[in-house]
Amino acid sequence: MQVQELVGIVPWTFIAQICNLFIQMYLIKRFLFKPINEMLKKRQEMADAEIVEAKKAKDEACAMKNEYEQNMLEAKNKANEILVNAQKTASIQSEKLIKEASAQAIAMKAKAENEIAQEKKKAVNEVKSEIGGIAMDIAGKVIEREINEEDHAKLIEEFISNVGEAS
Amino acid sequence: MDVDITGAKVLFTIPIDFPVLGKIQVSETIVVSWIVMALITGLCIWLTHDLKVKDISKRQALAELIVDKANNFVIGNMGERFRYLIPFVSALFATSVVSNLISLIGLRSPTADLSTEAAWAVVVFIMITTQKIKTNGFGGYLKGFTTPIAVMTPFNILSELATPISMACRHFGNILSGVVINALIYAALALASNKLLGLIPGAAGRVLSQIPILDVGVPAILSVYFDWFSGVMQAFIFCMLTVMYIANAAEES
Repeated sequence: MQVQELVGIVPWTFIAQICNLFIQMYLIKRFLFKPINEMLKKRQEMADAEIVEAKKAKDEACAMKNEYEQNMLEAKNKANEILVNAQKTASIQSEKLIKEASAQAIAMKAKAENEIAQEKKKAVNEVKSEIGGIAMDIAGKVIEREINEEDHAKLIEEFISNVGEAS
Repeated sequence: MDVDITGAKVLFTIPIDFPVLGKIQVSETIVVSWIVMALITGLCIWLTHDLKVKDISKRQALAELIVDKANNFVIGNMGERFRYLIPFVSALFATSVVSNLISLIGLRSPTADLSTEAAWAVVVFIMITTQKIKTNGFGGYLKGFTTPIAVMTPFNILSELATPISMACRHFGNILSGVVINALIYAALALASNKLLGLIPGAAGRVLSQIPILDVGVPAILSVYFDWFSGVMQAFIFCMLTVMYIANAAEES
């Protein structure tokens, strides 16, 4: 079998190897780089989409949190309002109660005083008539004569009222 | 015992005589190159079938690793604008490595033929020169030969031409040395086992001495250097030089 030189350049082999190199380049590009790069691109797109989605979810969560916080704030405000209102009502009511009670007390006091005054008057009148009787007796005994009872009563009345005023 | 180390065998010749180029000789080099190309392409197809975006297999991880390494190698050494050279450098490296290692299965490496390396080196040389002309303009490229002084012109031209020659010969020399040394070792070990087993007296000795028993295993140790290390190393050096020369050509002011 014919052999080529050990060290030498064979023109056709040379040309064939140049072609082979470029064919190999195309084959590697077509069968290794193209599918892998496409796949990597797809993966990149997927990762990007996931990041966008995560951001969206985060935004949503943020909005929800804000809403919740606002609701909480409103509820707190409402509770405070209710509390203040209740306190106000309670104080108004208690004031009213106190006023009523004091008014009642005053009324009761006035009534009591009235009663006392009436009793006093009654007592004075009783004492007056008794004293009048006694005085008449004493006077009858002193002057030993019956004076006109009408005049007499007038006199006594005068006297007693004078006494009552002096006393 | 004769040790015969020859060039590539010519498997068949197409009997059409072209001027200058001669008859087309389909040699071992060309046929094994086709096998190499088929192997690489088959490997690529196997690596990239059934690609998934998530839950990737080990096979896909390997494919991605290879692509990533190739990208890093070219872009790291040359910059982003040479992205289009990634398939070329990858093809060069893959062809070179597989061609060098195919000698392990008993075929003749296409890289043990100077024609192969010369072809690659010439392609690379044309790319370097194109890049230089693109960077400096044709006038600037020619002017580059007269630097630093006009007297240096012949030496500059020589050093320019030395680039592809040295690239081709470095790679070829390393692979050829492996081929030669392997041939010598095989022959020497066959001779040694012949003599050793020939010591056995009688017919048994005559039969056994024909079996080159020492050829089993022992050359594998040398093959670690001459095939594996040297093969991968030379492929890497060739690609590294390609990348470096082109990147330098693009940077010249």
